[in-house]
Amino acid sequence: MHRTHSLRAHTLRLSLLTTALLGAFGGARADEALDELTKPASNVSIGWGYWSNDRPQQGIYDGMRSKGSYLLLDADVARRNEETGTWFTLRGTNLGLDNRELRGDYLRQGRYGGFLEYSKLPRDNPFSINTGLQGIGSTTVTTGTNLGSFPRSEVELGTEREGIRVGGFATLSPGWTAKLEFKNEDKKGTRQIGWGSAALFSVEPVDSNIQQLDATLQYAGEKLQLSGGYSGSAYQNHNPMLFEQLNRVSGGTNASFNAVTPISQPLDNQAHQVFVDGGYGFTSSTRGTFKAAYTLATQDQHIPSYDLGGANAPFVNAPSHLGGKVETTLLQTGLTSRPSSKLSLMANLRYYDVNDKTPLAGYVGSNTTGVATVYNTPQSYTTTSGKLEATYRLPLGFNITGGVDYSDQDRSVPLTGAVYVPYRESLNEITYRAQLRRAMAENLNGSFTYFHSDRSGGAFSRADGTAPYSNQINPIHLADRIRDKVRAQLDWDPLEMLSMQFRADFSHDDYPQGDRPYGPRDGSAQTYAVDMSYTFTDDWVLSAWYAYDLSKARSVGYRQASGGSADALRDANLQEKGDSLGATMRVKFSSKIESGFGVDWYSSTNSSSQDLTLLGTGSAYPTGTTGPLSDTRNKLLRLKFDTKYLIDKASDLTFGVVFEQWQTDDWAWNLADGSPFSYYSGTQACTGCTGAGYTGVVDGTTVTAKTKQASTFVGLRYNYKF
Amino acid sequence: MKRSGRFITLLIGAIVIACFSGRALAADDKAAKPADLVLTGDAVCTSCHDASDDATPTLANRHPSVMAIGKTRHGTRADGRTPSCTSCHGESDQHRKTRGNTKPDVLFSKQGATPVEARNAACLSCHKEGNRIGWHTSTHGLQDLSCSSCHSVHAQRDKVREKQTQAEVCFACHKEQRNQISKASHHPVVEGKMTCSSCHNVHGDNPKMLVKASTNETCFTCHMEKRGPFVHNHQPVTEDCGICHQPHGTTIPNLLKARAPFLCQDCHSHDSHPGQAAALPNAPSNSTSMLGTVARGCLNCHTNIHGGNSTVNSATAGRFRR
Repeated sequence: MHRTHSLRAHTLRLSLLTTALLGAFGGARADEALDELTKPASNVSIGWGYWSNDRPQQGIYDGMRSKGSYLLLDADVARRNEETGTWFTLRGTNLGLDNRELRGDYLRQGRYGGFLEYSKLPRDNPFSINTGLQGIGSTTVTTGTNLGSFPRSEVELGTEREGIRVGGFATLSPGWTAKLEFKNEDKKGTRQIGWGSAALFSVEPVDSNIQQLDATLQYAGEKLQLSGGYSGSAYQNHNPMLFEQLNRVSGGTNASFNAVTPISQPLDNQAHQVFVDGGYGFTSSTRGTFKAAYTLATQDQHIPSYDLGGANAPFVNAPSHLGGKVETTLLQTGLTSRPSSKLSLMANLRYYDVNDKTPLAGYVGSNTTGVATVYNTPQSYTTTSGKLEATYRLPLGFNITGGVDYSDQDRSVPLTGAVYVPYRESLNEITYRAQLRRAMAENLNGSFTYFHSDRSGGAFSRADGTAPYSNQINPIHLADRIRDKVRAQLDWDPLEMLSMQFRADFSHDDYPQGDRPYGPRDGSAQTYAVDMSYTFTDDWVLSAWYAYDLSKARSVGYRQASGGSADALRDANLQEKGDSLGATMRVKFSSKIESGFGVDWYSSTNSSSQDLTLLGTGSAYPTGTTGPLSDTRNKLLRLKFDTKYLIDKASDLTFGVVFEQWQTDDWAWNLADGSPFSYYSGTQACTGCTGAGYTGVVDGTTVTAKTKQASTFVGLRYNYKF
Repeated sequence: MKRSGRFITLLIGAIVIACFSGRALAADDKAAKPADLVLTGDAVCTSCHDASDDATPTLANRHPSVMAIGKTRHGTRADGRTPSCTSCHGESDQHRKTRGNTKPDVLFSKQGATPVEARNAACLSCHKEGNRIGWHTSTHGLQDLSCSSCHSVHAQRDKVREKQTQAEVCFACHKEQRNQISKASHHPVVEGKMTCSSCHNVHGDNPKMLVKASTNETCFTCHMEKRGPFVHNHQPVTEDCGICHQPHGTTIPNLLKARAPFLCQDCHSHDSHPGQAAALPNAPSNSTSMLGTVARGCLNCHTNIHGGNSTVNSATAGRFRR
């Protein structure tokens, strides 16, 4: 009450002064002041920035991977015609960088509008790659052999998406709106892959296009709302196949490894969807919703490898087109009601059917007998799910909520030909939820939620494989699972100048083994976070947060004796632990100078512990390998400082410095002794190949991650507001 | 003390007015019959909440000024649908009569006692179409979130609708995702190239509040090359990308939940090399028994893991090696 009173008094004083100033300096200046407060503002920012070192890891997406200077240019222009309510906005972000965006909007508010957007997104491979592979970026790459190897050089891989979006809407009549949006995006570049027929380095050229068209008609009435239309998308790949060839070698009679290995690429595909969503308010407290959608997705491009001969020729009965056709149907309905001021209810039912109607055909088999052994693998899923939830409002702002979610899935999969993993044709899961929540209090809000879910399913079908353990695994996504989860959150403002947030999440998964001893056993995940903001004065504000996360997974498997190692039980305990910290202090030193000091610190430790229980004679690890694996740790430290100097009402100068240090000891691209991993060079049989004197490949490609990447950024910007 | 302060203020005001009486009288007339300043019919509010009352955001209070509503779409008077202050905040008779000693009928701040339904009703009375149709059955709706929990209606640039700042708003509650997005492998959210709403319709009632009906449909909007169908499908890929990938971020490249061979061995238990123990080779090798962990792990050979379109008459084609 005291606060309100003083606010009123303050208001009165200021109002009187304004009145006085209005009189003193006239309406023009007052109008100007009013305009400044109420008319859309624009700003342009131009500057220069410099990174002192390359940033392969942190610069993957931000367009500033390399050491050097960058143009910092952003614009945000908004203009409105007050008479007609017409807006023109132009937004340019990172215009001087490789990840630039530019968007213009024209809007006659309430009647029609349109936009055009251009966007570019690089994704640079963070590794240093030293290779002799030839033809990178084309659809034929050549690796060296003992008949002719290539000098190695550093190559940079990466892709770039570049696209436009254009769209608009028009109000057809009160309540009715039509919308149209089209997106066209090209993706080009290179991506690291494997040779397929051998563990050799390879690169696929990426040159594809995606298009998306959405046409929607919406109706918004007092009680009824509808949204329906068409959504279509198409993927086109300009490189539908990659050829990997051995230098100065030709022929070959065995597809396992010959002079040319064709690597298939994604083929053109399309999807067409019609949909309608709706909502209806039966009463002021009861509302129903529904959704219906039908999608037809197809893939029927001529398969490029079908035309190959020799060792890469197709199976005699293989078709030249897949004839891929997947129909997806969605039906959903929901109801919410508040039968009394204290009770609210929600019910939801959903049917989602993915029906793969691709014809079954043999793609691998005996050309002599014509009998197929490997077929294509259409997969269909029908999921029926439902939810029930009730919330009851208790005194003192407390709410109590209980809910049940149920899901039932039929997975009708043709198990024809080679089957590598035991499969389950039905799965169901039920989840119970209970929550106590307090909201609407001025300084203390929070909730505590408990979830319990139980997943099970039908009998497992058998996988091929002679060893018993081939059929004794619980695949992680099909396994019975009991999950318990607790979530607690608290928002607390103990003082006017201090606000705090606490979050805690903990979940535990248990995978009952039954008669299947292999696969996941249990897992857990936990996150704890605290955030705070403290206002020392109106000009000194500190905000900070810390979070800790830990996830664990244990799984057991069978290792067959090989390379001198014994049969063994593998017991893997995977663990990832993360610490994150952020803090920012903003200070307004004077009416002209405002500064910020910040720190970000992230650390994650990944542990791949593995115990081996030997079941026979032999070593723990095959000859030529070393285990177990050591932990890996990634660390990122960022120290930030910026200061803004107000030149005048419309312009300011901002100076910023960022020190960034990334460290990793990840062994993924290391040999056991810590030296860089190198792709194999040596004997590699190529049955039936022609090439006098051929004995093997010469690859030797190394892929390394720079373990410590430190760089400093300095930048200066001029900002102009108008 | 307060009385004397007010008196001095009044006195200064009076002197200035007297000095410039012509203008002052005109201004006084305006005060007597306050005109709308920003919105149609806003005089009832802006006679008190005028420019002088309008504190611009400070370090301590980042809330946009009251009159900044004029900079937004809600402040476009030429659009006949544009609300006035009372459309959202209620008639607030008591607030006016007591000259601010009681609160407006509908307040959107955390300190306001206005029930969430009443706050949201103010927004949903106009914004109930399109992707907000399912709001009432959405997770956010059922958790009693108010629109103003995320939206800053008076700001010209609503943080949650800006690519560069949206995640900051979401992370106010979603701490787990804030941790994940800071890991080495992540979607370009912190770089401002994607937003949480690129994948999530936070007003909708799809599973996981996704923009599309399923995880895969959502992923395919950008990763359409994974849609297939392929000649050789990898079953989990057709079911749910989330079986192998954690889209919010991981320490393993390509957003994988675990490294090879551990990830693959969650499903695969075969004879020979698929069951190999995780280990690093001592020297470069082409042996499959030594390459399940290092470099791309199992994907060193099974390179087309999302599915292959090869007709090469080799069983390896069905194992994603062609």
